[in-house]
Amino acid sequence: MFRGRYAIPAALLASVGIFGLMAFSPSAAQADSTTPTTLASAGGGYTYPTPTTSPTVSASSGYGTANINLPETFIAPGQAIFDASCASCHGADASGTSRAPNLQGLGAGTVDFWVSTGRMPLADSSVQATEKPPRFNRTETLQIAAFVQSKTPGTGVPIPIVNLSAANLESGGSLYTLNCAACHTITGAGDALAGGAYAPSLHLATPTQIIEAIRSGPGNMPRFSEGNLTPTEAHDIAAYVHGVIQQPDDRGGFGLGGVGPVGEGFVGLLIGVGLLMLVCFWIGERS
Amino acid sequence: MSDESHQVPPLTTVSVEDPHLQPYAKHPGRAEAFAAATMVIGFLGFIGFGITYWISDQTQWEAATLGGGMLALGAGVIAWGKYLMAQGPFVEERHEFHSTEAERDAMTAAIVERGGMVVQRRKVLGGLFALGSTAMGVVIAFPLIRSLGPKPATSRQATNTDTSLFATNWKKNSQLVTADGRIVKVADLGVGGVLTVFPKGYEGSSPDQTILIRLAQIGPNDPPFQLESPGRTDWGVQGYVAYSKMCTHLGCPVGLYQELTQQLVCPCHQSIFNVVSGCVPEFGPAPRPLPQLPLKVDAFGNLQSQSGYQQAVGPGFWERP
Amino acid sequence: MIDSSLRWVDDRLGIAKGGRTFLDKIFPDHWSFMLGEIALYSFLVLLGTGVFLSLYYIPSAHEIVYHGSYLPLQGQKVSEAYASSVGLSFDVKSGLLMRQAHHWAADIFLGAIAVHMARVFFTGAFRKPRELNWIVGVSMLLLGIVNGFLGYSLPDDLVSGTGIRITYSIVESIPLVGSYLGFFLFGGNYPGNGIIIPRFFLLHVLIVPALIIGLLAAHLGLLVKQKHTQFKGRGKTEHNVVGSPMFPTFMAKTTGFLFMTTAVTFILAGFAQINPIWQFGQYEPFQISYAVQPDWYMGWLDGALRIMPSWEFVGWGHTIPLEVLLPAVIFPGIIFNIFFAWPFIEARHTGDLAYHNLLDRPRDRPKRTGAGAMMLMLMFMVFSASSTDVLANFFQIRLNSVLWFFRIAVPVIPVITYFLTVKICEEMAGAEGIGKRKPPNLVHRSATGEFSTVPTEARPGDGHEELEAVPVPTFIDMVPADLATGPGIRRVMR
Repeated sequence: MFRGRYAIPAALLASVGIFGLMAFSPSAAQADSTTPTTLASAGGGYTYPTPTTSPTVSASSGYGTANINLPETFIAPGQAIFDASCASCHGADASGTSRAPNLQGLGAGTVDFWVSTGRMPLADSSVQATEKPPRFNRTETLQIAAFVQSKTPGTGVPIPIVNLSAANLESGGSLYTLNCAACHTITGAGDALAGGAYAPSLHLATPTQIIEAIRSGPGNMPRFSEGNLTPTEAHDIAAYVHGVIQQPDDRGGFGLGGVGPVGEGFVGLLIGVGLLMLVCFWIGERS
Repeated sequence: MSDESHQVPPLTTVSVEDPHLQPYAKHPGRAEAFAAATMVIGFLGFIGFGITYWISDQTQWEAATLGGGMLALGAGVIAWGKYLMAQGPFVEERHEFHSTEAERDAMTAAIVERGGMVVQRRKVLGGLFALGSTAMGVVIAFPLIRSLGPKPATSRQATNTDTSLFATNWKKNSQLVTADGRIVKVADLGVGGVLTVFPKGYEGSSPDQTILIRLAQIGPNDPPFQLESPGRTDWGVQGYVAYSKMCTHLGCPVGLYQELTQQLVCPCHQSIFNVVSGCVPEFGPAPRPLPQLPLKVDAFGNLQSQSGYQQAVGPGFWERP
Repeated sequence: MIDSSLRWVDDRLGIAKGGRTFLDKIFPDHWSFMLGEIALYSFLVLLGTGVFLSLYYIPSAHEIVYHGSYLPLQGQKVSEAYASSVGLSFDVKSGLLMRQAHHWAADIFLGAIAVHMARVFFTGAFRKPRELNWIVGVSMLLLGIVNGFLGYSLPDDLVSGTGIRITYSIVESIPLVGSYLGFFLFGGNYPGNGIIIPRFFLLHVLIVPALIIGLLAAHLGLLVKQKHTQFKGRGKTEHNVVGSPMFPTFMAKTTGFLFMTTAVTFILAGFAQINPIWQFGQYEPFQISYAVQPDWYMGWLDGALRIMPSWEFVGWGHTIPLEVLLPAVIFPGIIFNIFFAWPFIEARHTGDLAYHNLLDRPRDRPKRTGAGAMMLMLMFMVFSASSTDVLANFFQIRLNSVLWFFRIAVPVIPVITYFLTVKICEEMAGAEGIGKRKPPNLVHRSATGEFSTVPTEARPGDGHEELEAVPVPTFIDMVPADLATGPGIRRVMR
């Protein structure tokens, strides 16, 4: 049974080795991106994806204030999709029914947020709308938005043109902590709210969706008007979420889900004290 | 210690062949190979740490080399101790370490009789020494404790927030500003908007933090937004209401506003406050509503306070009536 | 060489006699006697890494502009404490490894104390004559928790700042003197004039560690003076200790274990990120993140605060915030008083005033084991209650339902645990030979199809107990040539 005695240290070494190898794969990938937060890389690739029939840009003055002008040719196909997929609840003219709210006046940005995050069409009306793969592609989404916007031109939340190349991460971080972290948590992991609601994780949100959500306040989220957060500030927050929250600098190892000391406590007790108790088993007698 | 009472164990000489001195391992060669291999790994790990430190300072490599080295070296030493050293079992006798009755009596007698002799003969000296040392003990606590901080003001009219638990810097006509000092105008927030505000000049101050919420888009001449009791409708203005952001439970910032359900939730211990009924706690450990700040709009459309808070903000304390 | 040095020292200090006795000191071989060493060695890691951190940390709330290497904070106004904490993580070589090792070592330190304390409790090792050492140990647990909280607070990040705010409110809740205590601790009304950081620093790096070191010396001194307890077994009596001698066997094992403890701490420190303060940002009293909890050893207090109903006493011009006072002051006060007084409570209950050097098996003492299990379950339940929001989010249950579950479960489940444990212990006590290591039986089928059971011989590992325990020999009869090929290489078959 001498061989058996070696099994324990061998298993210990092996488990630590496997643990180490697992740990190395993310950290090695991160080794060259330990400073992922240069503004260029944060903003790069997230200027607005161009739809097939490109909508024009309403170039108003000031950074972060540009919005998408949806072409009129989008309205008719948008209406067709709306009739097929949305009208049964929201009504043929998007004015709402007893089952779903009025969409008129909410603006293209609100529609874009709900449809592009997959929350609409709704899967289960009894619970909070959940993020899921979107049903419609980019063009179809914009067509629906164009149709709803056409009911009340010029009102509601527009679809912003997002360009994060000039955003200020420091300002975005401060604003995020003050305005967003109380619900979405400081790591963007999200958490349960009162009455069965929850604040979703921000890890998959695109900068456009972030700004649309800030402006439209989906569900339980407050609405932040331009008098509250200026377009520049909204862009700074989007840049912080995209560049820091979504690509956290976990140079200390596994992020452990970003849920803080509860996860750390379990790791410390189960892995830390647990491994050392196994060593005790090896060193000492077990009878 | 009390070695005198111990029985000195006899000098014993045993043969090197004594079974108690033999290793635990059945195959000592293998155990030795294991210990040697792990110690070599440990050595290499430490060399690796040195190299890592000089060339990259990469945390994961540092942990792997240093921690791995310690793990391997430790395993080697343990294997050496467990498998290759004299296996025993060995025994050690316990000795009664308490003193004999006679020794105890002698100790007691020394304290009682000698001490008694000293104190009984010079009662006054004993009393004076007790008096003096007690006085020193009391007064030395003054600088040790009293100097640590100011005395809390007990008056409810106190105005200095550094020394009063009742005071805030909200006065009549205080201008509402954001954390970075921007003046808040009545047009700034849409319905469902939320903003953390301070009295102008006290941005970022803990007791003054106030959460401003716009519940409805109401013009200056429309009927006001009706709050349920104990909320004060006349303390809101044009659909705005403002409450202290300090939780009445433990003083955490109540920054979580659920717009759909009109609730404020404290992120620390999940107390839930109903915004439309004057922030009455609906659930959780908070005992009292969040104090409401009376609001008004000045001639330039800026939001101001009608007056300061009418009660102490934040968690409860003894002097709070 | 060794001989002449020893003579030199012994001429002056007279250490040979006591020293030889110390080298012959016997340590029991059972694994559970190593648990306290995890705490001891992680405390050494804490001291070492702590000294490293204190070389770079600046205990000051003075506001400066951050210009370190972490880009998202560039240009932010932060305290020197926060800036130096981020700086020693990112801009000091190996700093992050040391900081994380320090934090992990604290988590392991208190975890090991808890496990060690449970071992001492369930086996009755706290009984006469070791009541004082139990009290010393509980005091170290208390100081360890306090120092963990103090250290957690030093970086002045968003999460720890919230913890300091809560601490202030808890102090404030104490009737009569609460606001005075709060003002004296913080140098004024919250958040004070920034003096809390240097005060916490002084407590964390000097006063509390000095107390812990003093108690640790007493703990180990008492251990040597009173000698180890041991489990019942062959040759083991109330009047001896059986095991391995201090030198060399135990020393080798424990040195290896020191390396192991350090290794686990440093491996965690590199691969499991702990308290990433750079992601949390500077603390401001009006900012908050959801899902903030204290470290695990404070979690039970946070959980107790969460599940407490909103009972506040108001009358005669005064307020007593029972919703804070009961869970955060009275509850831990009761728990620690039970810990301190347990040896005396039990002795009074059983009327047993005899010396005890042999340990109980937990199942032989159903009531004590039940009480211990009840306490562990109570601690686990209130600790779990500190993550109501995380649990609700993870399992997608309503937050309010989770809270109500814990309001009922915290008082009920520990009581059930008590009766269940007592029952299980009584059942186990009745079963013959339970828990004994038995040689396996071979079931043999003969050519005619009959089955027979053949007991195997004792395995070689079991043979360790076959020898009689003997005192450590004074001399080993050994020619110099044997030093190379002697003990440790050959094995005498028996």
